[in-house]
Amino acid sequence: MPPSFKWDSLKRWETLLAVVLAVVVIFNISQSSVFLRVDNLVNLFMLHIEKIIVVLIMTLIIINGEIDLSVASVMGLGACVVANLYERGVSMEAAILVGLGVGALCGIINGFWVAYVRLPSLAVTLAGLIAYHGIAEMLVEDRSIGNFPDWFNQLGQKALIGPLPLSLVIFFILFIIFAAVLHFSAFGRYVFVIGNNREAARYSGVRVRQVKMMLYIMSGVIASLAGILFAARLGAVRASTAEGFELDIITVVLLGGVSIFGGKGTLAGVGLSIMLVLCLRNGMNLLSITGNTQSTVIGVLLIFSVLIPNLTQDFQGFWNRRRMIAK
Amino acid sequence: MYRIRHYIRPEQIREFSLIFIIMLAVLFFGTQIDGYYSARTFNRIAASVAIITVLAAGQTLVILTRNIDLSIGSIVGFASYFAGQQLSANQDMHPLIAVGIAIGFGALLGSVNGLLVVYGRVPSIIVTLGTLAIYRGVLVDYAQAKTITTDMMPTWLVDLPRVNLFTVGEIEIRVMVGVAVLVVIAFQLCLTYLLLGRRLYAIGSNPDAARVAGLPARRIVLLAYILCGALAGLGGFMFLVRFGTITVSAGVGLELSAVAAAVVGGVNIFGGAGTMFGALFGAVVIGTLEQSLLRMPNVSEFVRDALLGLFILLAVASDAVILQQLRSLWARWAREARETPAAHSEKESGHAS
Amino acid sequence: MKKSFLILIILTVMSLSLVSAQDEAVVATPGETVNMILLPKFLGIAVFDQAHQGAEEAHAELQNAGTLEFLGPTQENSAAGQVEIVTTAASRDDVDAIMISNNAGDQLGPALEAAKAADQTVVTWDSPIPSGDSEDLFVAQVDFDQTGKVMADMALSILGEDGGKFAVLSASPDAANQNAWIASLQETLEDEAYASLELLDIVYGDDVTETSYDQALALVDKYPDMELIMAPTTVGIAAAAKAMQDEGLCETVKVSGLGLPAEMLDFTLNGCAPEFALWSFVDLGYVTYYATYLLATGAIEAEEGVSFEAGRMGVYTIEKDPTREVGLRIVMGPFSVYNIDNVEAAANPGGAEMTPEATEEG
Repeated sequence: MPPSFKWDSLKRWETLLAVVLAVVVIFNISQSSVFLRVDNLVNLFMLHIEKIIVVLIMTLIIINGEIDLSVASVMGLGACVVANLYERGVSMEAAILVGLGVGALCGIINGFWVAYVRLPSLAVTLAGLIAYHGIAEMLVEDRSIGNFPDWFNQLGQKALIGPLPLSLVIFFILFIIFAAVLHFSAFGRYVFVIGNNREAARYSGVRVRQVKMMLYIMSGVIASLAGILFAARLGAVRASTAEGFELDIITVVLLGGVSIFGGKGTLAGVGLSIMLVLCLRNGMNLLSITGNTQSTVIGVLLIFSVLIPNLTQDFQGFWNRRRMIAK
Repeated sequence: MYRIRHYIRPEQIREFSLIFIIMLAVLFFGTQIDGYYSARTFNRIAASVAIITVLAAGQTLVILTRNIDLSIGSIVGFASYFAGQQLSANQDMHPLIAVGIAIGFGALLGSVNGLLVVYGRVPSIIVTLGTLAIYRGVLVDYAQAKTITTDMMPTWLVDLPRVNLFTVGEIEIRVMVGVAVLVVIAFQLCLTYLLLGRRLYAIGSNPDAARVAGLPARRIVLLAYILCGALAGLGGFMFLVRFGTITVSAGVGLELSAVAAAVVGGVNIFGGAGTMFGALFGAVVIGTLEQSLLRMPNVSEFVRDALLGLFILLAVASDAVILQQLRSLWARWAREARETPAAHSEKESGHAS
Repeated sequence: MKKSFLILIILTVMSLSLVSAQDEAVVATPGETVNMILLPKFLGIAVFDQAHQGAEEAHAELQNAGTLEFLGPTQENSAAGQVEIVTTAASRDDVDAIMISNNAGDQLGPALEAAKAADQTVVTWDSPIPSGDSEDLFVAQVDFDQTGKVMADMALSILGEDGGKFAVLSASPDAANQNAWIASLQETLEDEAYASLELLDIVYGDDVTETSYDQALALVDKYPDMELIMAPTTVGIAAAAKAMQDEGLCETVKVSGLGLPAEMLDFTLNGCAPEFALWSFVDLGYVTYYATYLLATGAIEAEEGVSFEAGRMGVYTIEKDPTREVGLRIVMGPFSVYNIDNVEAAANPGGAEMTPEATEEG
């Protein structure tokens, strides 16, 4: 497959997402006077901020040809570690550092089995999904831990810069960093090359194992950070915190045009996909469409966003052939 | 001993490593749980993995073609609800018709997945992540918050979980367990002996090559999805039989359990490799771990999941290690055979005869 | 003398008027406009739909010119979904009151704070905010402290006077109402009268049928002398009863707890679950609606001692919730205990109550 073809199809994908996004935004504006209000626009991000932070690193992992199903459990574990330590009298600052360290450790464990032992990442991180959640359950059991220091809750809930809370600032910074790393650095090139063909990458001297390990460590740290931010936003931690987020996160990455088989995808596409899902969810919430109806709409969108361009292409091909025959 | 390598490759006996792991687990739990070595333990574990085995078998068919079906949890829920509803409306319905309805309904939903993947050229993970939500959403709308309860069901259905196909001493082979084993054996035979089976592997190993070689790849992938849906429908019927009370959340999350069983059972997630027996043993490994941990004394409710995750990881890792060792053993034999021409020629003749 | 007599009279009149003011139940004025949201733990489950029916009934009775929206998350995304719906509602201008069955523990706190900051009335029903902050009132289905006694009584009535050993099969470990009920059960068991009952273990089925079924059988294997499984959750009790029935254990291990008559009918008739209890979710939705309407229209304040009339359900008085450190509640009550005599009538309420569903979305 010539590279130009890929670029075309990617550009087509992003254009499509942008068009759908524009339609959704216009629809939201026409339906609800609240939509464009600053507090709603901040809410729009904040209600899913932890997931979309993890989406960024998940994008790199999937482009690399792997997957990390354990992110939601690591998010919960990070929050539970912090809550448990704080409850035992450790200072919040120290607790957060340990929480991030535990996230890194989870990443190292995942990375070791995937990169060095070469077990399938799906199996490894599925086991991680169960085990890390299990450790969170051991730490918090049937309790709900809250009463964190004020500054911690403020960070999660109150605006820090202008109307933007800390986690939103972190998201934007990470987005820029990841875009730079993925598309303009050697490391980013390695991520793509390995995702396209692991063996070829190894023979051409790419340190495959180190790259994969690095990605999983980043995934662990960022997921843990996201979990801690989640704790700050909600003001309390339970063992089930963030349970089940992994499929939402992966859905957004795939909608962004990232190939599940690796080697293909852009952070711009993922950014558009994030905006699209958030605007759609927010708009439906404002219109009182919730629950399974909402997830059904997202499901339909997911399928149709790929199906319709494919069908259009088929139809064009059919039409062109007809014309050729007619001539 | 050398001779073996001509007839069997490590990949073909990889199921033995799973059996070895199951034996290890059983030995370990035997030291922890009083009266573990009993027919009851077998009966419990067998009954608990029956449904997931059927689902894993269907999932394996799809995974072999380098695709995935994440929607089966919703298919199970919808099929069991739909079949339950039809049964409650027609109490006299013949049992086989009832099973047929569930299977047919599952096949229908599976064919939607398949059509979108094959003719819509939408990646399977996107299609089935979408239909996972869509089928569940439609079910919630369709059910109008009504629950299917056991008192709406005919007696034969309520009593079915208790019915044994046959018993050996105290070991009971329940109907549902029998169905699961039958499904695995039947599909394993298909994979081994039918053209269809070899084509599934061929497509999964190299989809482009398979197309170039003129295989009807589209129809075969579509068929894999229909079969997977049908098996999910059967799983839905078994779900109805076993649990009796069906709400709109029936079967939530089963898709990941089925994928887990297949992957633990050595089915390659990138297609082209894996067997039905592998999926079965994968389901048994996970089921044994789960059920045994539930019964282990002094393991608190809150520690269990951590141990389960750890044990699953250990199982996957030791499976990989065993397989690697077998491969290098085979390679060594091959090397030695080359280095000793006498043994070589002896084996060649042995092989020919 | 006269003066002091006068003072006495004045004092008496004052205190009388105080008493009468407290006793006088506030009656709702129909026809006001209150836009309300009824938010269950998740959509698609019978009990929450029944609560919705009750709320619709009250909505019609009070001729509320506003809207009653029935919004909820999916079961897989219950906690985060509830936070999302409440936060969005708080930023909408057209919402006056939120009635929520909390499934997110204290994690809903900040979202509900935002709703209250936007002048919205927040009433919890079925399951409260554990910390008691950020809600105006909790409409308890039954007295949470009574729940333990009801469960212990059912255990005694099933096992006989000489009692026996039993285990609890609960929902998820962080379900606030289940935990409160189990705590109340443990407290009740310390009473002399229940000395013959021994609680062996507490396990969790996560309100998932498969897990609950497996947990019930594991309990049987783990504790050979266990005679009863007490499941204070509708999912758990039905799954446990089916498990006992499938394994032919109904003679040795009974099942009890909180269940829906329609789901438990078979198991009660065949003796697997001879007795269980529940309350009416229709009534719960109805009372919750009345309390919320009165609070949102300003007819009553959320204060201890305030009484109001909730239509056909009669008069309720707001009191301090003794089961939490902070928080006000009203108790709907009572429990209905079901057994072989009344379960059929409760499971098939003559069809008269089954009004067609009003569709909310659109």
